[in-house]
Amino acid sequence: MAIRRIEVRERVMERNDTIAGEVRLRLGEHGVPALNLVSSPGSGKTLLLERTLQDLGRELRMAVVTGDVQTQNDADRIARWTDDLVQAVVTGGACHLDALQVSNALEALDLDATDLLFIENVGNLVCPASWDLGEAAKVVLFSVTEGEDKPLKYPKMFREASYAVLTKVDLLPHVPFDLEQAVAYARAINPALTFFRVSSIDGTGLDAWYGFLRELHQSGGSMRWERPTGQGVGAAVDARAGYA
Amino acid sequence: MHEMSVALEICRITEARVGRDSLPRVREVGVIVGRQSGLEPDNLLFCLDALLGRPPFAGARTELEVVAGDELSVSYLEVDDGDPPH
Repeated sequence: MAIRRIEVRERVMERNDTIAGEVRLRLGEHGVPALNLVSSPGSGKTLLLERTLQDLGRELRMAVVTGDVQTQNDADRIARWTDDLVQAVVTGGACHLDALQVSNALEALDLDATDLLFIENVGNLVCPASWDLGEAAKVVLFSVTEGEDKPLKYPKMFREASYAVLTKVDLLPHVPFDLEQAVAYARAINPALTFFRVSSIDGTGLDAWYGFLRELHQSGGSMRWERPTGQGVGAAVDARAGYA
Repeated sequence: MHEMSVALEICRITEARVGRDSLPRVREVGVIVGRQSGLEPDNLLFCLDALLGRPPFAGARTELEVVAGDELSVSYLEVDDGDPPH
């Protein structure tokens, strides 16, 4: 037998990151910032998108790519609020979206007629943290019915995210959730994280969220196409009412 | 949780290299996994063993090197050129 060793030294995520770079470039050429929404299942990504499309749909042209392990249920829900801008990706078992799936989904979207793209990732606080999809920023959601210590349990996701949305705040009077503690835990992981506190049911905090989306759309410039640093717009909007 | 996706990508990288360089049978795949890479090394090993045990791989082994940081890469392939011609 003649055994020999061949050096490879190839990053496993190399191909995904290359495709993500192409997606980012393509979105940049069309002036479309993309937000990658990540969270555990049931924290309210789809409802926040429904409400956002309902309230802001006449002002901003928003496209959505949704990912689920099975079913098009979320895409069907979102499609009620927009005409033809929803692309469903059924991962068939995979616990995350990857850049190739997003790249393929973009084929069906008219980017020239799009102001903002939402990518609703598979509900999972672990795996989506590892996949760059070409987004301008990751937005992590967690609800007040979860635990304050979610950021400590899933630090990579909170480290990768530039924005955090605390959802279901209308339930705060009914659940033992320490909001300040949750924010402190998250900022211990990622000091630059910008917080929103919203209820998609009673509308609390949505004005701040919409203000951020308008600003993201209007900002142009560098912050949209660089990998998120948690600086820039995040720091600017942090001081306004409605932000934690 | 996404170890199988990562294992599939490692197999794709291995196959691509074998095809590109016309390599003979792969005996071992060297993989570097950072402790902060978000992967469970035992789980990744399980997935790789399952994938490398079937065609086009004829029972190649995986050698995992667990390191600090978040590195995740295929470091080397060990191949068998077979018996030299007499």
